[in-house]
Amino acid sequence: MKYISKKRNLENYTVRNIPKSVLVKDSDGKTVIDTDSPNYYYGTIPNFKIDNEGNFILNDFGQKIVNTIDIELFLTQNLDDMGIFTDNPYTPKSETLSTKPNNFNSFTYGRLAGAPVDFYYSPTPQVTGNTDDSLLKEVKSYRKSSGGDDIYVTNLNTSKDPKDSFSGVLLEDANKIVYKINANKNNISNTGIEYTTFKNVFTNTIDDFGLNKTYKTTIFKALNSGWNQFNTSLNASIKKEEYLGVVFKPEVESVVFINRGVADIFERHSLLSEIKTTNDIDTNRGGFIRS
Amino acid sequence: MATGNYGTIRPADVSVEDVEMFYSYTPNRESLSDVELIPLNPSEVLVPANNPNNVTEIFGGLYTLKLPTSIFGTKGFYNIIIRPRQIRTTIQDCSVLIDNQDVKGIVFDINQIPTGLQSRFENGNLVGYRVEYLKEESGTGQDKIQNLFRIITSNNRALPITQNQGNSNASVAYTFNDNSTSVFCTVSPSSAPSIKPNAVPFIGNAQQGVIITNTFFDPVMLEIEMVEFDDETLAYALFSNQTKSLEDGIYTIYNFGNQIYRQYNLYEVKDQFTGKPLFEVREQKFTIDPTKDFDDITNF
Repeated sequence: MKYISKKRNLENYTVRNIPKSVLVKDSDGKTVIDTDSPNYYYGTIPNFKIDNEGNFILNDFGQKIVNTIDIELFLTQNLDDMGIFTDNPYTPKSETLSTKPNNFNSFTYGRLAGAPVDFYYSPTPQVTGNTDDSLLKEVKSYRKSSGGDDIYVTNLNTSKDPKDSFSGVLLEDANKIVYKINANKNNISNTGIEYTTFKNVFTNTIDDFGLNKTYKTTIFKALNSGWNQFNTSLNASIKKEEYLGVVFKPEVESVVFINRGVADIFERHSLLSEIKTTNDIDTNRGGFIRS
Repeated sequence: MATGNYGTIRPADVSVEDVEMFYSYTPNRESLSDVELIPLNPSEVLVPANNPNNVTEIFGGLYTLKLPTSIFGTKGFYNIIIRPRQIRTTIQDCSVLIDNQDVKGIVFDINQIPTGLQSRFENGNLVGYRVEYLKEESGTGQDKIQNLFRIITSNNRALPITQNQGNSNASVAYTFNDNSTSVFCTVSPSSAPSIKPNAVPFIGNAQQGVIITNTFFDPVMLEIEMVEFDDETLAYALFSNQTKSLEDGIYTIYNFGNQIYRQYNLYEVKDQFTGKPLFEVREQKFTIDPTKDFDDITNF
């Protein structure tokens, strides 16, 4: 808990103004203050904000404004990464929601019971950008022209997995070649990454070694980005204690003492092999074996 | 294995609905009376600042305490506690997952939670909340189990399932089911250390009272000392305008805005028989003479 110490001077909130409207003449003809006047606040801190005449200042709704002593403070949050979660199956709610709650977001609502997975889909952005022409060779034909140039055949599937995916040229004209890489064979127009390599436009850059590099200018276009049915699913996430703070999935390496949470079988056997005397049982790692 | 975690400190953008506030007052530091904490409504006194570039977006971290002068307008010391809001409920059950029998957890009934707070118990929303425990036996002098807490690491709606244990016994385990109003929460620590496999940490008992608290910000205690004088007011006496009325002996000190700050009567005390002056007196005057307005006096 943070401790903050502040000091405020009440004088800054004390009324020192005496409106003319509270001045009256007494029986001797002397000007005095009518202390019974509702507009008289001299020397006090009013509960509501007043103007110089001692009248209440009203807000847009005609209500009196509470007089406050304002103090700024800064709140912070300390946080640590909990690490990876474990997905578990669950039974969805039988009554599914048909419309999203207002301003639905997964953090506020969590995995909202009854919310179908498409509530979590995001609008599909079209990602575009520039790249080099290195992927052009992936869609060329094995044949060469009589002049030895590469040939690009429209709709020729050059994918390594032609049964399911399509990689190939969609369009070629005098200026450009339009081609797709790894599109779904049954939905070529809406899947995969589309590239357009311009035949007569070149880009000059300097590579990591300071050398000039020239390639045909190429633009790419990705259609199915964002969260959608291909990369989103709903699961009940639970936290296994041994994965607390583990931010990547554990990968098996050749280290036998790898810590897998509650059971370090190899480590215990190895430690036992070091025990030669009964004293070792007591002293080894502060009595680790004995306990 | 690539392991590791990261930590950081970020400006809190907690909603005032997730905040609790209390204050206490003492006229001086030497007060011997017990501290009496009085609740404050955060929605009335705590205002988050908005991003100047986008007025509908919370700035983060910066909040303004608007302390009403009706409460905080007295000289003395005010201690203000700002802490995450607490939710009190009872543990419905303590059990394991039917598919992961080594995953232990505590179960809450959403219907026992106040309506406005039930959304906090939706799947995954309690992650990071802290659970503190109340004693099961009453009349022990202290209802809370001190220095014991657990952190909720996951929560999902779950349904109890009976699993046969043989010998006419059956136990209950839980399976995730969004149709349920029970919420299964895993907490940390809840598993045994490798050197003592049977030393399973306490995570609570069924029907035990608990306090569930969000961890959206670090609690803060402000000590605000309300004073009547500071450098500015002392400077009035030294540097501001003053008048001394020779007719009635009223000595007036003005603030830097030429408003009457203090008035005094100046007079001499003389021996009643000989007329010999004995004392010169400056006595504070509490009934202000409004005719000593500085602008009126100097406007000639």
